[in-house]
Amino acid sequence: MTIAMGGWLERFLGRGTASVTVPPLDGALKPNSYLEEAPPGFTVAAPDNLALLDGAPVWSSGAQLLKLNGDKPSPFATLQSDVTALACSDAGLIAVACEKHGIAILDRDGKPAITALRDGGKYTCVTALAFANNDTLLVCIGSTDNPLSAWQRDLLEQHRAGQLLRIDLKSGEVKLLANKLAFPNGVLADKDGSIIVSESWATRLIRLGSDGRMSAQLIEDLPGYPARLARAARGGYWLTVFAPRSPLIEFVLREPKYRRAMMAEVAPENWIAPALRSGQSFHEPMQGGALKQMGILKPWAPTRSYGLVVEVNENFVPIRSLHSRAGGRRHGITSAVESGGRLWLTSKGGDEVVTINL
Amino acid sequence: MATTSTLAKLRYRFVPDHVIGELLSKKWIDNAIPFLVLLCVVSLFGSLIPNFFSGSNLAIQARELGEFGLVCMAMMLVIVVGGLDLSVGSNFALGNFMTLALLNLAGWPVWLAIPAVVLICGGVGFINGFLIGYLRLRAFLTTLVTLIIVRAIVDMLLLKYSKAMSVSFYDSTVWDLIGLGGVGGVPSSFIILVVVALIGHILLTRSRPGWRAMAIGGSRRSAHNIGLSVRGTVCAAYTISGMLCGLSGVLYAARLGGAGTDTGMGLEIAALTAAVLGGNSLGGGRGSVVKALIGAVIVQVMTNGVLRIGMNSGSGPMVLGLTLLLAVFIDVRWLKNRDKLLSKVYVSPTLVELPTPRPTDAEKGGALALNDRLREVEIIGLDEVESPEDVILDENDYLYCGTRHGDIVRFSPPHYKEWEVYAHIGGSPLGMAFDKAGDLLVCVGGMGLYKIDRDRNVIKVTDETNRSAFSVVDDSRLRLADDLDIAPDGKVYFSEATIRYEMHDWPVDALESRGNGRIICYDPNTGKTHTAVRKLVFPNGVCLSHDGQAILFAESWGCRINRYWIAGPKAGTVERMVDQLPGYPDNINRASDGTYWCAIMGMRSPALDVALRMPSFRRRMARRIAPDQWLYPNLNIGCVIRFNDKGEIVESMWDKGASNHPMITSMREHKGWLYLGGITNNRIGRIRLGDWADKTWSGYRSYWGARS
Repeated sequence: MTIAMGGWLERFLGRGTASVTVPPLDGALKPNSYLEEAPPGFTVAAPDNLALLDGAPVWSSGAQLLKLNGDKPSPFATLQSDVTALACSDAGLIAVACEKHGIAILDRDGKPAITALRDGGKYTCVTALAFANNDTLLVCIGSTDNPLSAWQRDLLEQHRAGQLLRIDLKSGEVKLLANKLAFPNGVLADKDGSIIVSESWATRLIRLGSDGRMSAQLIEDLPGYPARLARAARGGYWLTVFAPRSPLIEFVLREPKYRRAMMAEVAPENWIAPALRSGQSFHEPMQGGALKQMGILKPWAPTRSYGLVVEVNENFVPIRSLHSRAGGRRHGITSAVESGGRLWLTSKGGDEVVTINL
Repeated sequence: MATTSTLAKLRYRFVPDHVIGELLSKKWIDNAIPFLVLLCVVSLFGSLIPNFFSGSNLAIQARELGEFGLVCMAMMLVIVVGGLDLSVGSNFALGNFMTLALLNLAGWPVWLAIPAVVLICGGVGFINGFLIGYLRLRAFLTTLVTLIIVRAIVDMLLLKYSKAMSVSFYDSTVWDLIGLGGVGGVPSSFIILVVVALIGHILLTRSRPGWRAMAIGGSRRSAHNIGLSVRGTVCAAYTISGMLCGLSGVLYAARLGGAGTDTGMGLEIAALTAAVLGGNSLGGGRGSVVKALIGAVIVQVMTNGVLRIGMNSGSGPMVLGLTLLLAVFIDVRWLKNRDKLLSKVYVSPTLVELPTPRPTDAEKGGALALNDRLREVEIIGLDEVESPEDVILDENDYLYCGTRHGDIVRFSPPHYKEWEVYAHIGGSPLGMAFDKAGDLLVCVGGMGLYKIDRDRNVIKVTDETNRSAFSVVDDSRLRLADDLDIAPDGKVYFSEATIRYEMHDWPVDALESRGNGRIICYDPNTGKTHTAVRKLVFPNGVCLSHDGQAILFAESWGCRINRYWIAGPKAGTVERMVDQLPGYPDNINRASDGTYWCAIMGMRSPALDVALRMPSFRRRMARRIAPDQWLYPNLNIGCVIRFNDKGEIVESMWDKGASNHPMITSMREHKGWLYLGGITNNRIGRIRLGDWADKTWSGYRSYWGARS
């Protein structure tokens, strides 16, 4: 009774759980335009997941896997449906997850490799893959309730239906390491055997032991929804943030009736929800601060999409960040790898693979 | 599409949510807390004390209140100018003594004695006022000194004359009427209080001296800087305060007919308590007669009530003190949070169910299909004009537009590269029209309807209309005159987009989508302005139909265009002409082939359309998140449409890539060109029209014919 009353009072006064707060971009996260102003990269339709194969970047775009051939990207493998996640092992194995056809293991030329993986096709909504070692694959299932294409619905309906699996490629054994995760969207096996997972809807990074038990919350209350992770040369990690949090979206997340009506009547690309790109159509929702004045959109205007990649040190303290702000092109950064002093980024919203000299 | 329940519709139709914000923005709402305390006190003691509401008790209380209320008003007056008067009690005692002395000992008649006493006490007040106002002594110390000295004088006089006074008795019917009688059961002292209060209220709130007193109390230095006579006003306030004390003393004398050393003892504390309880700010500048009287009633009911309940003598002041503490606490919190509360509750959305918009998809075709025709727009005055909401051309092809700096800028033909400030009005010039004489009429946001004659003189045409009967806020002033047109008989019809928002936050009105606007008519023959149509949803874009029989106007947030008949059989009625628009229509103007142009200033977004059906969602949004984050109509991109008298849309012109001239609030056809203005733009655009357009057609000739 008291709790019900308290909840009602909080909603009435907008306090406690009903208060809408979004952490500011502050300190090392202070906005800049390094990402937006980086030199032109490779124009590729919806590039998604970067990985290092024998030290060279490969990435997915639609159902294709691409790598650099000279200084032009060229496809070296084509899958049956859109690739949703990609990982490479030191031994040159490529793990690929497709939207409709599950997980497959390829060799470095893109030919199917022989492993003990059984029923690879049953996995859906795979958001990230990582090799813990040459025989062990870590798999993030974003949501067991929704397909990956309905990720916005998964957020708006506030599902916590993500899973982390470990697949032994030698024996074919599958172990469910963690359950009920809030859309795990990035995974990395750390040196000590523990596993780092980014939980998008919880806007945090967590560390799990090799048995899957959560041992620490590494970063909490991020200003955006985290995606995939990569090692940085300075000893820390690169964390990509694929969309920003905004007070309006946080508010809508507290309004179930409106959310239901919106999802029922409005096309998904026009929802009040985070997006990989925005400003494409006048049917998209607009917020007050995004009203152009004298033909100019302010870079601090509220936006549904943003480009952000953050370098954190080994203690997960942010030390630098690269931004593409409101109105920019390089939005929806879904993965990053560092290779030879250069940072490679996929801007899924901006249809571009960007490289930045660090 | 899900439908909203009838109950919710009725609720939003009949419950006036917006009144809460309007009430909170009124000045007198400050009295709400003291008034609540008053109600509590009266009901508490009314229930505790038997016969509290009986006629005799009320009469006694009212008679005493007559005296005490006057003293409280005296205190309130000096507090309002930023001072304090501790000598009211002594002055009151002096008034009482002098009345008795003049009547009983000197044998003066009543009509002479009363003014004399008022003047004597006014003299004491004048001394205070002179010392504080002119010699700049501290109010607290000065009045403390007069408190002591006047009290001493009264005591000395009492010592000398009390014996003589106690044996004599003044007998007069007038005197008895004042002291014991009344009119129709209402005691005379109460009647006097009411009369004085009414005069005081009018003086303080409706007269120059009253406003000056308030200004001085609010900020002495600013008042001095703007040239008010601070010293004189302060002195006058103390003098009037003294006179009120004197009058109160007279009434006391008439009621009791005796003078003692304890007369008026502690009265200054009671009066000060009452003034503060009523909500008069000790800092000055905030106070009213009503506040003083509310405080007076509270204090009197409490002090008398505590005694009558039978509590011991110390408990009266104790209860008073605790109440004062509570009242001050609540008052401080109220003052601090009132504006916060107002800003949170002012936006009060209502339920709107917009019909499904007509399709705009490029693939599906149709009159509204997206195209790129505005990409070829020629740009005029890039970065030289800001906010050209409307553009207009005269017969000599000069191009005029308003800017957000309050200027009317004129570009010269044929290339429109050179420009000059044609006239400076101020405010935000919006819609424009030429009258028959060639004078330029301009709707100015924040100011009203203005005219620039051919000698470039700026003349105010009108800035107010008749006030609506049941409005909380004064809606007679024009806040956001938006667009106008001139009927053949010379009457000017113009729209006021909203009466609830100022120029700089007009898009917030879209969050409400209530009928906050109106169409107003100015008649140059009588010089009168009256409201023609009320409760319109952001009326905008007024245009006289080609036959001169009707005024077309857009209801922006309603996404529709209406026709208001001004002549013919349907005169005075409004009918729907175009609806289901995919965006928010703005200015409407005539086209050369007998159709009409309409600017669509922004596009509907489906997410906002859903929110429009859920007013409580929008209300919470307005409270919880910052205005910058509010869901807005998309005013970054729009288009131009052309429609005919039957309400059919003929064509549309878009800037699909939003690269050249996406934001449009107005357009004018002139000699084969279409000129475009946009309120958030830094440019004007023009585009050559197709062969259908009459290359000789101009707006002026369409209205007034070729100039003779």
